[in-house]
Amino acid sequence: MTRRCFACQVAILGALGALASGCIPQAATTQGQSINSLYTVALAMSAVVAALVWGLITWSVIRYRRGKRASDELPPQTSGSQVLEIIWTAGPLIAIVILFTATLLTLNVVNAAPQQGAVQLNVEAFRWGWRMTYPNDGVSVEGVLAPGPQAVLPVGREVQINLTSADVIHSFFVPQFLYKKDAIPGHPNSFTITIAEPGTYAGQCAEFCGVFHSQMPFTIRAVSDTDYRAWLSSERAAGSTPGATP
Amino acid sequence: MTAIPVDQPLAREHGEARPQVSHGLADWLTTTDHKQIGLLYIGTSLVFFLLGGLAALALRLELAQPGMEFVTPEVYDQLFTMHGTIMMFLFGTPIALGLANYLLPLQIGAADMAFPRLNALSYWLFLFGGLVVVGGTFIVGGPADAGWTIYAPLSGPDYSPGPAMDMWIVGIGLTGISSILGAVNFIATLFTRRAPGMTMLRVPIFTWGVLVTAVLILFSFPVLTAALALLYIDRHLGGSFFEAASGGSPVLFQHLFWFFGHPEVYILILPFFGIISEIVPVFSRKPLFGYRAMILSLVLIALYSFTVWAHHMFTTGAVDLPFFSFVSLLIAVPTGIKFFNWIATMWRGQLTFPTPMLWCLGMMYFFLIGGITGVIVASPPLDFQFQDTYFVVAHLHNVLVGGTVLAAFAAIYFWFPKATGRLLSERLGKIHFWTFLVGITVTFLPQYQLGADGMPRRYADYPPNPGWADLNMISTVGSWIMAFSILVFLVNVVLTLRRPATAPDDPWEANSLEWATSSPPPDHNFRSLPKVRSERPVFDMRMSANQERSDA
Repeated sequence: MTRRCFACQVAILGALGALASGCIPQAATTQGQSINSLYTVALAMSAVVAALVWGLITWSVIRYRRGKRASDELPPQTSGSQVLEIIWTAGPLIAIVILFTATLLTLNVVNAAPQQGAVQLNVEAFRWGWRMTYPNDGVSVEGVLAPGPQAVLPVGREVQINLTSADVIHSFFVPQFLYKKDAIPGHPNSFTITIAEPGTYAGQCAEFCGVFHSQMPFTIRAVSDTDYRAWLSSERAAGSTPGATP
Repeated sequence: MTAIPVDQPLAREHGEARPQVSHGLADWLTTTDHKQIGLLYIGTSLVFFLLGGLAALALRLELAQPGMEFVTPEVYDQLFTMHGTIMMFLFGTPIALGLANYLLPLQIGAADMAFPRLNALSYWLFLFGGLVVVGGTFIVGGPADAGWTIYAPLSGPDYSPGPAMDMWIVGIGLTGISSILGAVNFIATLFTRRAPGMTMLRVPIFTWGVLVTAVLILFSFPVLTAALALLYIDRHLGGSFFEAASGGSPVLFQHLFWFFGHPEVYILILPFFGIISEIVPVFSRKPLFGYRAMILSLVLIALYSFTVWAHHMFTTGAVDLPFFSFVSLLIAVPTGIKFFNWIATMWRGQLTFPTPMLWCLGMMYFFLIGGITGVIVASPPLDFQFQDTYFVVAHLHNVLVGGTVLAAFAAIYFWFPKATGRLLSERLGKIHFWTFLVGITVTFLPQYQLGADGMPRRYADYPPNPGWADLNMISTVGSWIMAFSILVFLVNVVLTLRRPATAPDDPWEANSLEWATSSPPPDHNFRSLPKVRSERPVFDMRMSANQERSDA
């Protein structure tokens, strides 16, 4: 179902880190695609660090094990080196600064404010379901427990999602967007996505919210802008109530 | 230069009897001796470890396949709440405090803690606090079920009515007060009870770890206590600190919780870094490389730990992402210093691999993965995917099991002869070690992939997405391998305790002062103290004994 990025697989398979790290889905949003790139950078750096440190430990274990017929002579009692301390302080520091820079660049893309005219979708989470309202179109979809509501969104347009919660904290999570954001009572949140690929994307609650936490999925169907508009009109015609506007 | 034979007792005269240290029940209940209290702490925390482990086995059994098979969602929520609560508050913290209790006075050449009765009070507060939390199991409706992080408003009066959550709040509050009293005691003991010649820069690195941990406890646990008090007021006295509808803030609870919670995870690891730093030099026959750098890195990790709490809140939309990301990433630097100094300690040494050393090496291999994935989730855009998924579950188990638990076993195998006069079986110890290593690998590594695929944590059930059932099944099989391994450990302990106490006082040719007294140490620890001229007084003592013998 999920397509795995090639670069990510190379980075993973190529290194000992393969054992450890997961492979994330190829993102369906432009914002998520920049997260894919950042992840590839992070994985590559991780692989280098893991190979270096594991290599050094393994080398020490093999090379410096005490032989069966070793003399009682103690090894050189070296107890430190300022030069080495500086090197292995500076090395990780440089790596951190590189990763942090890449992080900032990605954050700028992911957190960019939407342009005027972005599609608005208000999402209210509650125990245990979602109410999704298109405030400018008087359309609303709602669902409790599985299979949950389906929101239709246009491909290639910015969509601003405004999150609120009616009771406890929930989290709006679409794995294929590589993104989640918490729905917190009294603390409205919003974020912007631009879906790049048409398709149906599964979403779910990611913040523990009680007994049916695992039973509040939703889906997002991404279609062309024309189909999106057609869907809105048909929903309006079908008398979809404007929902409880938050 | 030759080392003196290991069986030569350092503290006892040749032929002198091992000190009698058998204790009756009344003695255990009323003791103020730091060694007995330390053993009580360690024993109690291991019992809680077994309870928490049983809860984990039940969780993994339920998750082995999609669908609800063994427990109801309600019970599942209680199980993971109890698993997390027990492992963090009733196993991790107290086993660190127990080891500190046993070892700190010995390592600095003291007869006991500065406040022995306060020390006893700490233990009993911890025990009864723990019993109150776990006691929720026996009330109608079962124990608390809001997760070990008890986020408001889920833990508030509207969504967690009933006494279970109150028992959690009161019980954990008691263990928190116990930790604070313990921390005061450790700091006072270290500053006032050091042996002549033991300057702060000759204090063993484990004890340094305890000092830094105690300071972390002093600054972080009161914040938890405050958060619990506010939550209690919300629940029973009409407060609305965390109620959005009345002007309160659920985000405030997370700030308070994690301002405690992140230092807490360093409370769970810094003493164990100290253990690794104590054991690796012994089995490398070299001094710890970069002793001062190791102290500095402990202090730096502790300082940073108070600036990174909001990296648990990247997805709340309520925190400054770049700042908290950068300081979180920065912690990799002092942690790296630790790793490189451990490696440099082994470099050009003469390595032997009895069980304590194996556990240390296992810790280095395994903790490294957890450290690296910790760096990954410190980057907010990546955390947007991983937060609250099995990736984070895998990461935190990687550092807490791969770090804390492996190092705790290293400590148990290393100091068991000191506390009991008996060496644990090496053969069973190696079975324990290798099965545990296989167990944690099989259990936790598949969870990274599950999390990357987007499986959220705290799900009683999950959809049959491609691969999820298989990865979960692998993880469940791993949990049973771990359970088998723990069984081997228990057998090892029981069999060893039934054998006569024949271990030498210093079986490992170790460095710090606890090895200069008998095993187990007598009341008040030392008959006489060697001179302390470096951070390896027992090594110096062995060397000068050698010197005298070769001069004679």
